[in-house]
Amino acid sequence: MKTDYQIMVALPKGRILEDAHQVLQKAGLNLPELLGERVLLHGQEEVGVVLLRGSDVPTYVDLGIADLGVAGKDVLLEAGRDLYEPVDLGFGACRISLIRRPEQTGPWRTVASKYPRFTRNWMKKRGLAADVIALHGNVELAALTGLADAVVDIVQTGTTLRQAGLVEVEVIAHSSARLVVNRSALKLKRELIRPLIQQLRSLGEI
Amino acid sequence: MNVEGTRPYLPESAARRSRIFQRASELFALWGYQNVELPTLEPYDPNHPLAERAFKLVDAGGQVLALRSEYTTALARLLMREPPPRFPARYQYAGNLFLRQGSGEPLRLREFAQVGVELIGVSSPSADAELIELAFELCQKLGIAKPQIEIGLPSLVRDILSATGLEAEIVESLRRAIDRKNTPELAETLAGLAIEPGQAEIIMALPDLYGSPAVLADLPQTQLSSRARSDLEWLRQVLAALPSNIEPLIDLGMARRYTYYTGITFRAYTPELGLPLLGGGRYDQGPEGSGGLLPQAAGFALGVERVMEALSEVPEAGPKRVACADLELARVLRARGYAVELVAGPEELADYARARGISLIGSGGKVSEL
Repeated sequence: MKTDYQIMVALPKGRILEDAHQVLQKAGLNLPELLGERVLLHGQEEVGVVLLRGSDVPTYVDLGIADLGVAGKDVLLEAGRDLYEPVDLGFGACRISLIRRPEQTGPWRTVASKYPRFTRNWMKKRGLAADVIALHGNVELAALTGLADAVVDIVQTGTTLRQAGLVEVEVIAHSSARLVVNRSALKLKRELIRPLIQQLRSLGEI
Repeated sequence: MNVEGTRPYLPESAARRSRIFQRASELFALWGYQNVELPTLEPYDPNHPLAERAFKLVDAGGQVLALRSEYTTALARLLMREPPPRFPARYQYAGNLFLRQGSGEPLRLREFAQVGVELIGVSSPSADAELIELAFELCQKLGIAKPQIEIGLPSLVRDILSATGLEAEIVESLRRAIDRKNTPELAETLAGLAIEPGQAEIIMALPDLYGSPAVLADLPQTQLSSRARSDLEWLRQVLAALPSNIEPLIDLGMARRYTYYTGITFRAYTPELGLPLLGGGRYDQGPEGSGGLLPQAAGFALGVERVMEALSEVPEAGPKRVACADLELARVLRARGYAVELVAGPEELADYARARGISLIGSGGKVSEL
């Protein structure tokens, strides 16, 4: 679908949607209101919004369907796409950690994750070898049920982990929401996008 | 069934495609670029810039081969063995390339076509300007209404980073952050390093130095090394040599990995496409054969599928078509330069022509409008 919007924005459904919408609005981008679960939002001011699964945001932005978007650093690390990441929006903070059952201390042979690509790259850099099992949700179950010897997953407060009796062995990376911009859109629509980036950066400094 | 990442071309799209090849070749010839053809099979070389992404095969003798994944390296290696009789030499090429890792996404193909040129044996701002002007004209000739040329200077980023004397791994993470315009991570990495504040200031400025050539004035000049200064002076001379209608953009934060470019690089964008239409740059070898591919060389390549995606129609320039039910007449018409399609009987002529958008029909020795 080709659109006539001056700017097309990709936002992730879920926990960071409202913050993302709010901060872009505050930075001066005239976004249409969020109305329930509608996935394509039409703005009055030639700004369109697509609501996507978080992991699809980098795809839409990389392929130029959306000019810019908001995505967690965890998602960007997994996607490995070639995008501009000019602003750390600060919210949605979490860490990507290695998680195990407390009694497991030896080397692991299988690791389960929602971030298989990221996990493989991290292990390769560390000189570790293990089979990676790709999962899509409730990854801690993989450690609890014995599907895997270890799990790589996001941790926000650690409460869920403690309740499940699991241990955060190592923090691999820190994540928070980022503004991502398509490589050619940043250049061709710089009159709109450059001031937006400046605004978002100065909002972060307050 | 198609293999993922490959595309068949049936008459309509094949015709559009061949028009792109034809126009590019004619334009390149007008600028003095002569045709070369290179083999599709190459000896596999682990030092090739795309070695990891190339298709590999083993021949009967056990030698590992690769399918051609890129033209510039292939031509440069040929010219190292067989140097051109005189310089400067201008070459043009066109053909298919192969990558193992296409994702099947639009325009991330495993078999794709490029047309391009290389200007060998001359290293000067005016040679770079020639290539940029030719790239711009090529886009226009292919029907891209408003091609936007962007010029980068990865050598400047490299020289600024190497002047810090930091170890290679840190330089690489700084380069990556600059290339992604990831200012937050750049600031974080720099905060933990012992480098001069002036150098940190320049590095932090790089990601945001994009836009019209006026951004060149925004680069903090005080701490620049003499190499960085001469990089910038070269870029200024390229800009001065370009015709005024090109209106290029600059991005001083462009710093890709795994390329052989050692001087300026450039791309062309169009609003219709999220990816660049073409890319190129200068790849002169350094004093000890470091970096680059040839002592003095630059060029660019255009993605044929990208142009097809960006344009709904490449302007038509073929011969007039006639549907004809008269063999004798068909011979006469062909001799006069018409494209003639034979139809079994006169009664089928009108239907045949209408269905195919042909406006002329021929029968009983005469041509008439449908």
